[in-house]
Amino acid sequence: MVFAQVKVVNDTLQMQGDSLVVTANRSERKLSNITVPVNIINARQIQQTGALRLTDILKEQPGLTMTSGFGAGVQLQGLNPDYTIILINGEPLVGRTAGVLDLNRIALGNIKKIEIVKGPSSSLYGSEAMAGVINIITDANTSIPVQASLRYGTYQTLDAGINNAIATKSLFYQGFYNYFSTDGYSIRPNSSSRVTTPIQRYSVNQQIKINLSDNTNLSFGVRFTDEKIKNDISVNNGGATITSSGNENNTDQNYTISLNQRYSNSLKTSFRGYFTEYNAKQDLVTLSGDPYYDLLNHRFQRVENQTDWNARKNLNILFGAGAVWEGVKSTRYDSEKVRKNNSIQYGFTQVEYTPIQKLILIGGVRFDKNETYASAFSPKLSALYKVNEKHKIKLSIGQGFKAPDFRQIYLDFTNAAAGGYSVFGTAQAQEVINQLVQKGQIGALYDSYYKLKVLKPEYSTGVHLSWDFEPNANNLFSVQFFRNDINNLIQVQQVGAYATGAQIFSYLNIGRAFTQGIEVEVKHKINNHLIVSGGYQYLETGDKDQMDQIKAGKVYTRDANGYSKVLTVSDYVGLPNNSKHKAQFKINYYHTNGLFANLRIMYRSKWAVNNTNGNEVFDNGDEFANGFASVHTSIGKDYKNGFSAQIGCDNISNYVDAANLPNLPGRTFYATIKYQIFHKQ
Amino acid sequence: MKKTIQSIVLMVIISSSIVACTKSDTATVLPVTAVTVKDIPADTVVGLSAQGAPITNGKYTFYSLERNTIVPNSDSATNKWDIAFMATRIITNGGTSGSGLGGAFVYTGLFDGLTTIPTDSVFKTDNAPTSYAITTGSGKGWYNYDGLTNLITPLAGRVLVIRTASGKYAKMEVLCYYKGGVTLSASASDADKLNKQRYYTFRFAYQPNGTKTF
Repeated sequence: MVFAQVKVVNDTLQMQGDSLVVTANRSERKLSNITVPVNIINARQIQQTGALRLTDILKEQPGLTMTSGFGAGVQLQGLNPDYTIILINGEPLVGRTAGVLDLNRIALGNIKKIEIVKGPSSSLYGSEAMAGVINIITDANTSIPVQASLRYGTYQTLDAGINNAIATKSLFYQGFYNYFSTDGYSIRPNSSSRVTTPIQRYSVNQQIKINLSDNTNLSFGVRFTDEKIKNDISVNNGGATITSSGNENNTDQNYTISLNQRYSNSLKTSFRGYFTEYNAKQDLVTLSGDPYYDLLNHRFQRVENQTDWNARKNLNILFGAGAVWEGVKSTRYDSEKVRKNNSIQYGFTQVEYTPIQKLILIGGVRFDKNETYASAFSPKLSALYKVNEKHKIKLSIGQGFKAPDFRQIYLDFTNAAAGGYSVFGTAQAQEVINQLVQKGQIGALYDSYYKLKVLKPEYSTGVHLSWDFEPNANNLFSVQFFRNDINNLIQVQQVGAYATGAQIFSYLNIGRAFTQGIEVEVKHKINNHLIVSGGYQYLETGDKDQMDQIKAGKVYTRDANGYSKVLTVSDYVGLPNNSKHKAQFKINYYHTNGLFANLRIMYRSKWAVNNTNGNEVFDNGDEFANGFASVHTSIGKDYKNGFSAQIGCDNISNYVDAANLPNLPGRTFYATIKYQIFHKQ
Repeated sequence: MKKTIQSIVLMVIISSSIVACTKSDTATVLPVTAVTVKDIPADTVVGLSAQGAPITNGKYTFYSLERNTIVPNSDSATNKWDIAFMATRIITNGGTSGSGLGGAFVYTGLFDGLTTIPTDSVFKTDNAPTSYAITTGSGKGWYNYDGLTNLITPLAGRVLVIRTASGKYAKMEVLCYYKGGVTLSASASDADKLNKQRYYTFRFAYQPNGTKTF
């Protein structure tokens, strides 16, 4: 009896070059021919690190940092979660709160691999693909017909999953069911409010792929997530603490259909349709009995066609076009009953040319025409030069964009409790303020009010240069330099004041910022059983306008006595929540008898969290979160009869920082058992 | 014992006569020294309402820069005070706020760098409740309010240039808004944020000779 599983090579090092990457070129290519920086996380890595949710695995990747606040988002090369697009099988997830997509929504149980492409890829994916793209790939074509797993751990955290699959010559089916619950935890001493609240999540995925003929296949996919969170939150409002309790219910549904047709060996096309809806509802009651209700509903529909044409042996041309209809309803807009809509039409093309065997050149461009904000044009150029078997140089330059989000266009929010200030989205700011002027309620209008206009997307120009060095099959070294320049940053700006003095805000394209740094990755195979790997990132960030002000001597800070002094550029620390240094170190042990073990250490240096010294920039005199290292381990065994068992401990050193790292619980333990029935061959 | 007292008295007389001499000899160039004043309460929180809202007495704390002391509320209608504090609002003894010649403006720059009040500067007076000589509001006058952390921090590089009740000049810099002279950490408890706020620490220099130089 031969088990399919045995074919999975234990050695993560050797499989890298031949593994296929789909995200970077929108078409499957070998990793060794990819012209932009890519990281691949395969199913086995996910399993062995004991990761359950997307956040668990991403936080261990070089160059990525998890953020907290509005769920767990991912910061990529110093850019906030708003700037990274999250795809499942190429289709974008929606439902961001304040720009953050909570990655805890995504269960990992049925995932084949995760591809992370760094640098702007907007020419292929449109808005949000500015810092990078994270594509989660599931596959209907799996060799495991039944798999069941059960995990239990600290804080009564339970995760149960079942995968089932059918594979015939013409039909592939995969189903995945997952249940997750946790009691949450409180890492603040003597506090009843929990940092992570009790959560129950159900996820269901169904995928069917039908081969209608040798050249035609049809796929359907359904994904559904339902999340119930018991919420007891305390909000400090103007000095008073308001405690509320109630439930939060988030649902996420995705439906996909795609028809793939191959006309010849050199021409194929695919039609894709996608519908997704995210609904987040908060229904709370304060201790004094006042209801608090918050709703966000985001719908996104898309149709797209893409054609791949292998024009010549060394020339691939890809082109496509699509349309998006999306709309958001929210209690934060003028009426939660009216859906605010946007439609986008877009077209893209990419040319991949191999003039000589050592050189691959890729050029791409995309144009997005939007109904509610200005159009976007995103070009990209990249090249891979294989110096020889051991050395590879990659260079990519591209422009990415992020569309203004609905809140920046439609927000209509007045905080009656905190002094009555208002924030208006640009679509209605002028109209609403005009009405207020006629009612005599406006005290002052600032210059910025007259500058209000249709928002432009935020643009980023990214340059990535990397050198990969593989001296032999046991060693891998890569170094990457990156720089991102962001223009047109959309920022909240005061545009006027009520007669009462309360402020009125809206949004303007005013900011300029940059991130730059170096990433190093090293892998070394000590012997057939042991692999060590490490990663390091050095990061610099800054707000260019603030830096100009600092250079002009117009920004002040405070000295040790609390006296004001002129801030120097050397004391400026850049954008908040960014650590200058990040590092990972991992040891993985494998044995042919199925035994595996690992030890992973993650380090992050201090980062600025609060502006405490009376200027609006972050400098050495501000409040920082301490740098820290967390250590994780797990050990397990895959038995030949299909059983596997694993135990693990996360955050062994029990590092906690309730204020700045609410998503990091103290030391936790878990145990998992899993059973797979394999196909006989 | 008696001798000691006598010598102290003598010393005081000598030193004050030195001051007096210097003053009369060189009318305008006497350097004034900066004084730091700590923890001046400014309508601090005394309790919580049933709804959890903070309760205060709603009263100003009056201060004389000339005499470097708190002035009792019973003297609020006199020219004995120069500035007064209530929460983040600082008023001057003039305009709608008082009977004196008081006024002020917010100067952007360093406290030590302000050696002479520029001739083109305009002193404003209080016109309650719509405008105050020392502009109210976050980011506009002397402080910044962070809605996420609920903390008030004095803006760096802001000097409050004050015209006193008697028409003399002083400059001051607010250093802290919290008890003990240290701004609370963002992660401080809500109770601390409530009870330790509204305590001013500031430094000032008062020019008694009526000139605009410090």
